[in-house]
Amino acid sequence: MPSKLSVRGLSKSFGALVALDRVSLDVSEGEFISLVGPSGCGKTTLLRIIAGLDAADTGQVVIDGFPVSRPGTDRGFVFQADCLMPWRTVWRNAIFGNEINGGNNAEAASRTRDLLRLVGLGGFEHYYPWQLSGGMRQRANLARALAINPKVLLMDEPFSALDAQTREIMQTELLRIWESGRKTVVFITHQIDEAVFLSDRVVVLGRRPGRIRETVNIELARPRPFSIKRTPAFVAYVDRIWGMIEKDVRASLTEELTTH
Amino acid sequence: MSEVRLSEEKDGFALAQPNHPARARNAGPNLKMWSIGSVLLGLAVWEAIGRSVSRSLFLTTPSEAVSTIVELSLSGELERHALVSAEAFFTGYVLGCSAGLFIGLVMGVSRRANAALSPWVSGLYATPVIAITPLLILWFGIGVWSKIAVVISLVIFPMIINTDAGVRSTDRALIDAARSFGANPLQIFLKVCLPSAMPFVLAGLKMAVGRGLIAVVVAELFGARAGIGFMIQQASEVFSMPRLFAGVLVLAIAGIALTSMFSRLERVLVPWNR
Repeated sequence: MPSKLSVRGLSKSFGALVALDRVSLDVSEGEFISLVGPSGCGKTTLLRIIAGLDAADTGQVVIDGFPVSRPGTDRGFVFQADCLMPWRTVWRNAIFGNEINGGNNAEAASRTRDLLRLVGLGGFEHYYPWQLSGGMRQRANLARALAINPKVLLMDEPFSALDAQTREIMQTELLRIWESGRKTVVFITHQIDEAVFLSDRVVVLGRRPGRIRETVNIELARPRPFSIKRTPAFVAYVDRIWGMIEKDVRASLTEELTTH
Repeated sequence: MSEVRLSEEKDGFALAQPNHPARARNAGPNLKMWSIGSVLLGLAVWEAIGRSVSRSLFLTTPSEAVSTIVELSLSGELERHALVSAEAFFTGYVLGCSAGLFIGLVMGVSRRANAALSPWVSGLYATPVIAITPLLILWFGIGVWSKIAVVISLVIFPMIINTDAGVRSTDRALIDAARSFGANPLQIFLKVCLPSAMPFVLAGLKMAVGRGLIAVVVAELFGARAGIGFMIQQASEVFSMPRLFAGVLVLAIAGIALTSMFSRLERVLVPWNR
């Protein structure tokens, strides 16, 4: 199967710090992959380069066979924090991407309307972000990214600012939404169980320099009910991945303790 | 926040989430009563003191000031002066604020322009430029243009500083979000930086009202042939306190009216800014 998204020999340094060191990665059509790793492993940098927000020092990002270096409608980005425009209502936030790209037509409008319903925001079109809960804001964020109908969806710790319960609900919601369209997704998270629950494949990154350490295929049947998190197979995956990054996490922890 | 807390007390239960805007904006009637009461009390104290000093050359009573306003207005004298001042104020205000907005936007966008202009702006903003009013009158004559020049020199700086700060305080994350959709620099400026700076711009416009009024009056005190400031100047020369206070009262009312107009405008133009 030809890969939808392919990252070839990507390197990036910030001064003396090597954030990414020759990272290569292939994601096939409709695949959901997660990148996990300790802080400082360069996973956000990698995602930003794929999105075209930052430039790589060397290497290439290829989508459907074409190299890309700038942001485009073939990729939709869901940000970590709340990145909705506070002066725009949910509706006007959701159509932002189409507005930017001159594709703000009836078809885009009806697709956006459907998307807002899909993410559970039907009826909230005229609300401003400050009137919504954190979970609802991230739903709107997701709808905005999907509204440009991207080939690849890039998600940078989208649920990290949510409380634990909302987060669990958003995970099942995301799977439900993903099942309906099966986009290619690259998802970044700190939480291993989140990665295992959502992904077809979990890519484990190591730190200093950021390199792909290992790739774990998650062979759990879909659709995955929430209860799957309590099965031995699931727990085994989480333990295995945790084992791979534990040393790195401890290293970054002591580093934080000594630098702060 | 205070509005929310107020309705909590009234309803007797905690609200689960922020109120609907229409509701949150309704300042409680209770608070309004306090404001009105305070003003009435102040006027009453003033009236009492004014009467007990009886026919002083240095003070008048609010009732006398108001009746003088009515008198002056019936004779058409007040309107004549007010119109002269208003013309200078509005012309200077519009010109000064537009220029300030433009310069502020340029400074907010271009780091080079910012580096080049900010020493001038912060230097002149801190200087009481009102002190050069006599000079401006020398340059522009005793008519409307010297007043306009004084108004411009006072309103332009808060406008520049606020607009610049507004543009530069645009959230990096929002700019990234726009970029991720392929927005070009012009789109980022128009769709992200500009709306993000709006609350700052409105605050600048509001601040400029008070400074603009000061500018007109000071310019008219220094030298003019008509205007509210001129009327006040004349009245003080002949110790006509009712006329003097009538002028001051008209200015106060104009200031309050314009500022509250901007508060209303804020609610319409930046409804997201709680």
